[in-house]
Formats: sequence, C-alpha cells, structure tokens
Amino acid sequence: MELFGFDLDYVAFMILFCIGLHMLVVKSNLLKKLLGLNVMETAVFAFIITSGMVDSGDPPILVAGTNPPFANPIPQAMVLTGIVVAVSVTAVALALIVQIHAHYGTIEVSELKERP
Amino acid sequence: MRGLGLALVLVAAFTIVLGIGGLPPRLDPEGPVHTHVGARYAERGLEETGLRNLVAAVLLVYRGFDTFLEVVVIFTALVAVLALPSGVIGGTSWREPDAETSEPDAETSESGDRRAAAVVDRPDTGVPVSNVVGFVVRLLAPFIAVFAAALLYRGHVTPGGGFQAAAIFGALFIALGLVLGRAKADRLVPRGVRPYLQAMGPLAFALVGLLGWRLTGAFLGYPSEASAYVLREAMVVAVEVGIAVGGAVILARLFQALEGR
Repeated sequence: MELFGFDLDYVAFMILFCIGLHMLVVKSNLLKKLLGLNVMETAVFAFIITSGMVDSGDPPILVAGTNPPFANPIPQAMVLTGIVVAVSVTAVALALIVQIHAHYGTIEVSELKERP
Repeated sequence: MRGLGLALVLVAAFTIVLGIGGLPPRLDPEGPVHTHVGARYAERGLEETGLRNLVAAVLLVYRGFDTFLEVVVIFTALVAVLALPSGVIGGTSWREPDAETSEPDAETSESGDRRAAAVVDRPDTGVPVSNVVGFVVRLLAPFIAVFAAALLYRGHVTPGGGFQAAAIFGALFIALGLVLGRAKADRLVPRGVRPYLQAMGPLAFALVGLLGWRLTGAFLGYPSEASAYVLREAMVVAVEVGIAVGGAVILARLFQALEGR
C-alpha cells in the first residue's frame, strides 16, 4: 500500500516516531518524557521488523508447512536486542525519576528548573 | 517551547520522509534485505546451527556476541538501579498522601473480619487487592507458567525463546507479587540464590562461550560435527534457560526496586 509514493507502513511509523518525539521534547513531566521515548522506540522497532518482511512470506522457522520466501530473521533478532536495551533504559530512567521525586518532591521539569 | 518542539518534530518528519523515500521497495523478495546475508541464513542456517528457528540461530549462533552483551546490558541496568538509594526516603511513600489516608481505621476495625474474608489485603501496604484481580491472577498463574515454559522449551523449533519466556515469567512474578504481598512473593525466589539467578544470563553465556572455546577454539563457538548434535543442543538450551531465568528474576527485581525495596 502506498501513500503519495511512500510505503504506508513506513509513513505510519514516521508519524508514531514524531508523536513520541513531540512528547519527549514538549512535555514537562519526566514520566511523560519517558513514555514519549518508549513510543519512539516502538516506532523504530516496528520499522526495522517491517523492513524485513517479504510478500507472501513465511516466518523464518524451518519446519514442515513453511516454505520460502522467509521473512528475514536478522531484523527480528536485532529488534529483540533493541527491546532488551529499551527495557534497561526504561528501568534506569524510572529509578532516576523516583530518586528525583524523593529529592525534590516533583518530576516537572519546569518546577525542577526553579530549584537550586 | 511548544513552537520549538513542533518545529523540531516537523524537521524530523521531513528528514524521515526523505529517508523512507529513498528506501528500496518493501516486501520485494529480490530486495537487498532478502538477497544479502539473510538469504544465506535461510539457506544454510539449519545445516550450520541445527536450529530450526532462524531467529534463534541468528541470536545465539551467528550473532552470539551481540546477545551476550545484550544480556550484560540488562544485568548492568539492574546493578545501576540497585546501586541507587531506595526510592522511599524517611517513610514517605511514592503514593499520593490522599490514597493512604482514604482508608480510615474505623472501617478496618469495624468490619475487619468480614473484609479479611472477602478481600485479600496486601499486608505490607494495607491497600486491598480486588477480589477479581486476585482470583484471576491465581487462576491463570499456572497456565502462564506453563506457557512461558513451553516458549522456552520449544523456542528453537517454534516462535519463542529465552527472552520471550523471561518477559512472561517476569510478568508472572510481578503479578503474583502484587496479589500475594511482598513476603509471599519473596519466597518464590529465595534470597540465598537470588544473586546467582540475577546473574544467570551472563553466567550461562560465559560458561557456554568458554566451553565452545575449549571445543572449537572460538569463544561462543558451537561444535558443528553431526556427532556433537546432543552437546550443541545442550549448549543452546543452557543459554536459553540462563536468559529466561536470569531475565525473569531481573525484571521482577527491577519492579521491586522501583517499588522502594
């Protein structure tokens, strides 16, 4: 499916990425910023996975019932790596946000800027 | 700030549109994605690795180093989170003050017995767990565990594998911890073995890697002879189990740490 000559799936991921970027930049709440980062990550993962798909392809599992062409296994393995890294980043960021809240009593960047 | 953010988003969108406009057509079996190294994996992956799930083959054999370091990354994240001081300082809870005071003592003393029978309290927080949630989690827990174990056990011939099993096991631990309370949930993973379980992903990888070094002369090498089929299978399963158990315990521990423990 195409939209103005661009692949529709890619356009959708571009929009998703931009939504996440907007959240990351504009929102003042650190948790919302982190959510935005995760939305961006999701868009990138979906983009990578989709780029490895093939028309009328089968999952890359060589058992009875699956035939070539197979979807490319490399993007899927790479995204698995990416997801684990994303989880790690989210966990550390959440822990830091908890620390900030315990220290300053707020997680709004606008309020944090006024603190010494 | 808003205008600036919007401008940045538009610049990013424009750049991405330029980028995706220059990509080769998607889904084309003759595209570079499918004619480059991916085609070789599909052709010779089974013969070279013995794994029918090519994603697992790429993950554990062709790009084993990548996965090894990935396991180290999540372990490092846990170390970093645990290294921070506990999130609960001076007894102040992460929860809003209203939520804590909204549970008057009168209610608990008056109808405490009835409520204890009807609602499972989390002893540590005093926040009652909904009957429905508690029942559903208890009912589904064994099925979730079996599903995760199946993903792990059949991971090299069907969709699934260590990381997927780790995510589901970790979610199960977290759900049980929420429903049963901290004390009981802690018993699921005994304190004594917890450090070893948390490090199990990197440990299993390192051990299998060294074994491969001994056998083939390359770190994380897998013996390729047909006679070594069982040994190769055992090495793959050891790594997968390490990833699954280590990952699940790390996920549950991360959640606990964020709760302020």
